[in-house]
Amino acid sequence: MLSSDKPISNSNPTNSNPTNSNPTNSNATNNNATNSNPELIDYLEQRRGKIISNTGGWFPGKGVFSHGYSMLEELVGEKSYFQILILNATGKLVDKSLADWVEALYGCLSWPDPRIWCNQIGALAGTVRTSVMAATAMGSLAADSRIYGVFPLIESVTFIQQALAKHKQGLTSAEIINEAFAACKGKPYIMGYKRPIAKGDERLEVMEKVGRKLGFEIGEHMLLAYEIEKILMQQFDEGMNINGYMSAFLSDQGFNPQETYQMFSMLVASGVTACYLDTFHRPPNTFLPLRCEDIDYQGAPLRKVPD
Amino acid sequence: MAEELKHEQVRSRNEPFAQRVVTQIWQEEPSSDNPYIAAAALCHGYDLFELMEKRSFVDVFYLLFRGELPTKAEAQLLQALMIALINPGPRHPATRAAMNVGVGKTDPLHILPIAAAVLGGQHSGGGEVESAMHFLSKNLSSNPHEFAKTFLQELTAKNITFENSQTTPGFGKRNGGIELMALGIANRMLKLEGAGNALKWSSEMVSALASHGISWLTTGVAAAVFIDLGFQPRAGGALFQLMGSPGLIAHGLELASKPILAMPFVGDENYVIER
Repeated sequence: MLSSDKPISNSNPTNSNPTNSNPTNSNATNNNATNSNPELIDYLEQRRGKIISNTGGWFPGKGVFSHGYSMLEELVGEKSYFQILILNATGKLVDKSLADWVEALYGCLSWPDPRIWCNQIGALAGTVRTSVMAATAMGSLAADSRIYGVFPLIESVTFIQQALAKHKQGLTSAEIINEAFAACKGKPYIMGYKRPIAKGDERLEVMEKVGRKLGFEIGEHMLLAYEIEKILMQQFDEGMNINGYMSAFLSDQGFNPQETYQMFSMLVASGVTACYLDTFHRPPNTFLPLRCEDIDYQGAPLRKVPD
Repeated sequence: MAEELKHEQVRSRNEPFAQRVVTQIWQEEPSSDNPYIAAAALCHGYDLFELMEKRSFVDVFYLLFRGELPTKAEAQLLQALMIALINPGPRHPATRAAMNVGVGKTDPLHILPIAAAVLGGQHSGGGEVESAMHFLSKNLSSNPHEFAKTFLQELTAKNITFENSQTTPGFGKRNGGIELMALGIANRMLKLEGAGNALKWSSEMVSALASHGISWLTTGVAAAVFIDLGFQPRAGGALFQLMGSPGLIAHGLELASKPILAMPFVGDENYVIER
């Protein structure tokens, strides 16, 4: 058993460097001291050839473990896939009702429409016959976007959690909104509200219905999110989007921004797969075909290459 | 959730999306009888066939990203960097990812996207290159010796370790000490005619910090050269991934033809679950 992770102290550097004894170092000179911290070298040495995990692992003949649970005895067949997914993503074994809510949310982001940017990667991959796994994985990666998909959850969860903290300190919803706009140099912008392509978000009503069906109450983050939406609707005719809704809901369930981001890492995968298959089953390279003239070239005119 | 909430009716914004994609990089001239087949291609106005005859790969690489052909000094600097970065090395996590692709008999076509993604990290990867370029751009007008002095004073005053400091991305310690290969690469780049302000400023900055085990990281060298060549920070991270890709693919392919036993598999006795 190895010692647990501990911070490396900022001790005075020394010239101790065990790697300097390597006779194959063709560039060895007297000047190759690294001024290394011996504590860090020791830290690395302790981990050489070893795996130290606080998550779990598979031990043939003994079992598979995740966050203290025996996967094959306590999880598989006993808990839903989404309970296991959330456990692996956050270390928290949640109730089935919450896992079902997250599963429903995944359905909200699995639309087979190749006009959506991440989905179009699936369609383009299908039309040139990559594998379905490459298409799905790369399309999912595209949702790591600053403006749509999964990555913005970090900002929107952070916003609503900080907003509630400010609200409890006495700030009104309107003041919270004004502060958020000021942070954006006056632009009327808050992550979790407004949406590209369309005004309004049809997924909110569906997820509210799912929440009621599963027995969830409206929590304090969600109440504030609705208050903020009401003001934004009155002033800008812009409402909450699914990102804002799930951020408030999951904040009420005790998740932090990073955990929320982690549990939705493959949120769009199914829609990407669907878009891949639609073009995969058609003649190759026929998805949205482009003539040469369909690209608007605005660069330098024809010029001679200098020798 | 007892009450049922009413939401606005969803309606399209009818936003004015472009009818055609605009590019300043590449022009394809259609053939006379099929608008879907190109008969010629221009890169920033230069005919691709003519570029093939007259210029080096590095020249055209620079042209593609910068819009103009490089001077001899710029081409020399870029080529030297591309050689320096050609392989992150078999211990880099990105290369090890490539090796896992290979030895696991995953389709070799997946080596590049998988390993290049790992080479995009905020530590030892493209993310760090981008951060380093922002850091350099912000501080290049300062005196590098003064910067180093202030930096050390701030660390001491705030009682934070250098390892935990995010103040100088691209510069610092790797595995506890000076990254000698990065230092060697930087010193060679500095001797080239194309070495600019970023390389020189960084060199002076690290010379003042070397006794504290702080020096160039490979990502910092890449960042300084990219700035000296006129690349923007957002391009720097992706270019770092691109320039390291040959090594990633080579190592992945090397393992692809070997049995799955060709890489270590940590034994249960060395697998510790901390709970």
